[in-house]
Amino acid sequence: MELLLVLLNDAFFSAIPAVGFAMLFNVPRRFLVFCAIAGSIGHCARTIMMRGGLPIEWSTFAAAAIIGVITIAFAKRHLAPPLLYAVAAIIPMIPGSYAYNTVIAIVQLTASQSLQPELLNSAVTNGLKTIFILGALSVGLAMPALVYYRTRPII
Amino acid sequence: MYADTQNDITRQVVRAAQLLLAYGAESDLVEELSQRLGRALGLASVELSISANALVMTSLVHGRCVTTTRRIREHGINMAVVCELQRICLLAEKGLYGPNEVRKRLARIHPRTYPRWALIPTIALSCASFCHLSGGDLFACLITFLASSVGMYVRLLLAARHFNVLINFAVTAFVTTLIAQLGYFQPITETPRLAMAAAVLMLVPGFPMINAISDMVKGHLNVGISRWGQATLMTVSSVIGMTIAMQLGGLL
Repeated sequence: MELLLVLLNDAFFSAIPAVGFAMLFNVPRRFLVFCAIAGSIGHCARTIMMRGGLPIEWSTFAAAAIIGVITIAFAKRHLAPPLLYAVAAIIPMIPGSYAYNTVIAIVQLTASQSLQPELLNSAVTNGLKTIFILGALSVGLAMPALVYYRTRPII
Repeated sequence: MYADTQNDITRQVVRAAQLLLAYGAESDLVEELSQRLGRALGLASVELSISANALVMTSLVHGRCVTTTRRIREHGINMAVVCELQRICLLAEKGLYGPNEVRKRLARIHPRTYPRWALIPTIALSCASFCHLSGGDLFACLITFLASSVGMYVRLLLAARHFNVLINFAVTAFVTTLIAQLGYFQPITETPRLAMAAAVLMLVPGFPMINAISDMVKGHLNVGISRWGQATLMTVSSVIGMTIAMQLGGLL
């Protein structure tokens, strides 16, 4: 029951950024709802996997691959390129606070007179998390094309 | 096929490829769509060489080659145009469209964008949702909403005045961070840090980054690296804007 509430919360609040960013990318209006669906499913899948004990990088990778599969199904139905849905759908999983912490630590390191270990620690750990989550997102999204649609076009 | 016809078809195909690249399609899609469109319209083969800001295309019919180059200027991301071009390619492939119909439909493409009054509230709501998802409380979300709606307004204003995208991002990040600092000065929220982190998330260069990795993975290394560089520069310039704002607020 508690898990269900968490998932509903996740689904709702990740559908909003998916639609918002889809509008920023000028996705046609009739496709906006599919961006929202893909975004919610991806974020919920990641939450479930992280609760199951998987590290955030691997769960992000798997969730991005799931989004890739779903958006290819949408693309086949509407005859539109899959990235049209997919990029907006992965936006809720962008590692925003990790990136923010990295940047702030680096700026503080620049301003300080001597090398402070806790700032360096924060910069490196948050920075590595940011880079690997971003890589997992984009490579995960490309997975269906790399594994299954090797020699033929998707649409 | 006459030489004139080949020239004309080559022009249509290279126009389609130019539009696809200018409005933010990945290189693999550009190559695939223009080759399919060319073959559907009767060319024997179409070869493309894509670089960061130009496009060279050669079409071959009956041993006669036509090579043409197009300069590409970035127009921002517009998926509606990419979607329309994909439609044209599929219709030509099914034999429903010939060169004349393709020319007419290509001439009719103009990039439509969402109006400002719709874009600003949705982006602000998106940033507020980011704040909520990362664990911010209600007032942090409200501060995020306020800051990012003002920031989005500035961003659209500067974009409409054709400022360089890097300047645009720096100024937008500055304004957004300046307003998002509110939580540090008024004790209304427990999580002022999350509000600041979420408000600038609207500047994440999502499309350039995904396109960059996707290009590099699929073998278009030079285009991928240039897009990666663009995304990095955009991030760095928003960091500069944030830093100046935080130093003004005395947080650094």
